[in-house]
Parts: sequence; C-alpha cells; structure tokens
Amino acid sequence: MGFIKGTASYVRFGVEGELPENIWDFIADRVVTFAFKDIDETYDEDSIGWVSVTNMFDTDFEFASYAAGNYVTLSMRLDERKVSAAIVKKFAQKEEERIKKEKQIPKVSRSMRVEIKERIQNELMRKALPMPSVFDLCWNLENSTLLFFSTNKKAQAMLEDLFRESFGLSLIQQIPYICGEQILAEEDAEKMARITPDVFV
Amino acid sequence: MDLVDLIAEKRFLGQEFLTWLWWKSEERGGVVALPEEGDIVVVFEKHMLLEYGEGDSNESLICRGLQTELQEARTGLVMGKKLEQARIQLAFNDYEWNFTMAAALMEFRNVKLPKTGGESGNDNDPEEREGMVLERIYLFEELIRIVLGLYRQFLEVRVSDGWRDELLRVREWVNKAERA
Repeated sequence: MGFIKGTASYVRFGVEGELPENIWDFIADRVVTFAFKDIDETYDEDSIGWVSVTNMFDTDFEFASYAAGNYVTLSMRLDERKVSAAIVKKFAQKEEERIKKEKQIPKVSRSMRVEIKERIQNELMRKALPMPSVFDLCWNLENSTLLFFSTNKKAQAMLEDLFRESFGLSLIQQIPYICGEQILAEEDAEKMARITPDVFV
Repeated sequence: MDLVDLIAEKRFLGQEFLTWLWWKSEERGGVVALPEEGDIVVVFEKHMLLEYGEGDSNESLICRGLQTELQEARTGLVMGKKLEQARIQLAFNDYEWNFTMAAALMEFRNVKLPKTGGESGNDNDPEEREGMVLERIYLFEELIRIVLGLYRQFLEVRVSDGWRDELLRVREWVNKAERA
C-alpha cells in the first residue's frame, strides 16, 4: 500500500522487452485476461491477478481506470488459503486418536499417519477463508520503469512472474550497480565494474 | 553475472554511497550541491542501521536518536561497519521528503511525500483522482531522480583519480568520531 495514500515503501524495476505498436489496446486486453479471479466460492488454494489500485473488488477496469497519463497503475492481488502447521498437527492427532479407538489398535501405522495428515490438511484448507494481500504498482511507459510498492521479496518474485505472464516483459530490479550502468558514461561504467570495496576508516 | 550474484557482490556500492552521502551532507551543514540542480538539503536523522560481515556472520547495529546523537553510528563506522539504512530528510525546490534508504538494494522505505495542495480532492471524480495519482507519481519519481543525481555524483568521484583524496577526507571525518 502507500501508492494512493499515506507513507509508501517502493523499489524500482526496469521493464525489458518489446511492446506492440498499439500499446493501450494490448494492455487493456492483457490486464483483463489476467485480472484477479475470486476463489471465495471455490476450494482453490490460491489465486493471483490484477485489480484496480483504488478498489480490490474492481476487476473490470471500466474506462481503462488503470491508465493515468503515460502510466499504468495496477494492484496485484493474491488470495491464499492458509492453515497453520499447529492446527493441522492438532486435528491430525485428534483423528489418529479417534481411529485408534474405533479400530481398537495401539497405534496407527506410518503410512496411515501420512494419509490422515494429508486428508486433514485438505479438509482444513477447504474450510479456510482466502486471505487477501494487495500490492500496488505504477508502470512508466515512457521510460520503461516500474515502481512496486512493497519491499517483500516473495511479493516481488510473484510480481515478476505475473508481469511476464501478462505482458511478456521482464522486470529487472534497479539495484545500485544496474543504476550505475545506466547513469554513468560508458567509460565510467566500465571502471565501476572493476572497483572493489574500500575501507572508510 | 546473474542478478543474485550481482546483488551479493556489489552491495557495497549502495552502502558506500550512503556513507559518502552522510559525510557529504555534514561537510556543508546538511546541504549537498548537485550540478545543474542546485543545493539539496540532505539531513540524516533519527534512525540508522549499520552492517558488519556477510551471510551467517552478519551483524547489525541499530542507532536511534536525533541528529546530534548519531555519534554511536559514527563509532560503528570506525569499527568497520557499513551504513545499510538511514532515515533521511531531503528538501529541494520547496518540496520535502522523509524516507529511509536501504542502501544495498536501493529501496525507498516509509517515504513521506511533500505536502501539496492537491490532497483534499474528491476521490469519486475520476479526473481529480487521476490528477492526484499523477501528482503522487511525480513526487515518487522526483525523489528517485534526485537520489540518482546524488548517486551519480558519488560514482563519478568513486571511479575517478580524485577518489583517493575524497576517501582521505571521509576517513578523517569518520575517525573524528573516535576522538570525539
């Protein structure tokens, strides 16, 4: 968060690859194709896709609401069903106890324990409510850079995948070394590639 | 070299930049001159994080306090730690940003944008909303542009023959902490 309101944390990416000539038509098509699909009424474990930056339930993007000047503004929404390991463990043990009593056996076999754990995990997963996370981005079409409003590494990796899948373009994080290559004259950039850390004391 | 290796091998670039910027801003009482732009107010404040070592042997030191109390962070530099994060106040052209720079990856964290008149607009009016969004984008990008300008200034010295002299001056400043 933070793109639209309040304080923000962000990292900069370079967008690499070719866009077709009719950029806005292409983006309109891709954004809707890869829009977020709700999993509240299904048993799917997770879902990821684009939503509007101002409303995480807006996946229609009426009047190209993602367009602001020469920028594309989108949110990546991820809904995930999660069950904590402690809960799975508790209910699996409970089920083991029930089976032991029912079958009047002193202990359950290893293979049965694995089967019980898997079954319980699936049952609990179906009951779990999908937890949403939303991450904003702003893509500058003019200079092919993108600001992503999260410093979470897992979210950044998911963004790189979703972005590549949606637009066929790669995102390269603009770390200091890569920034240096872009802002320095060629000769200086070559020198930068050769320098090693210095001691400041 | 792939990105993962580049990040590991070149993380010192961002950290050296941040340390240099701290020295550079203190050299002229919180102002750094940027060619073609003019004077930029750069004040290091409140919060710093220093790093020492790599991987499993990585240690960090967090220093909090007002500007004058950052002596401990300077002492950290004397011990050979590197500045990885710092809370900075940056002012330029009537705009003032507050942000934390995470140096190794050049991440902008907890960025407080300059106050402008355009924040009380009507969110429901698409045109006003677009204007508000564009203004925020401009301010996010302007901060990057200025920081990259400062970073370029650092790199140009860092790769030049003048770096030896510059480094001597930075060292003198760092070592002052020990004597203070």
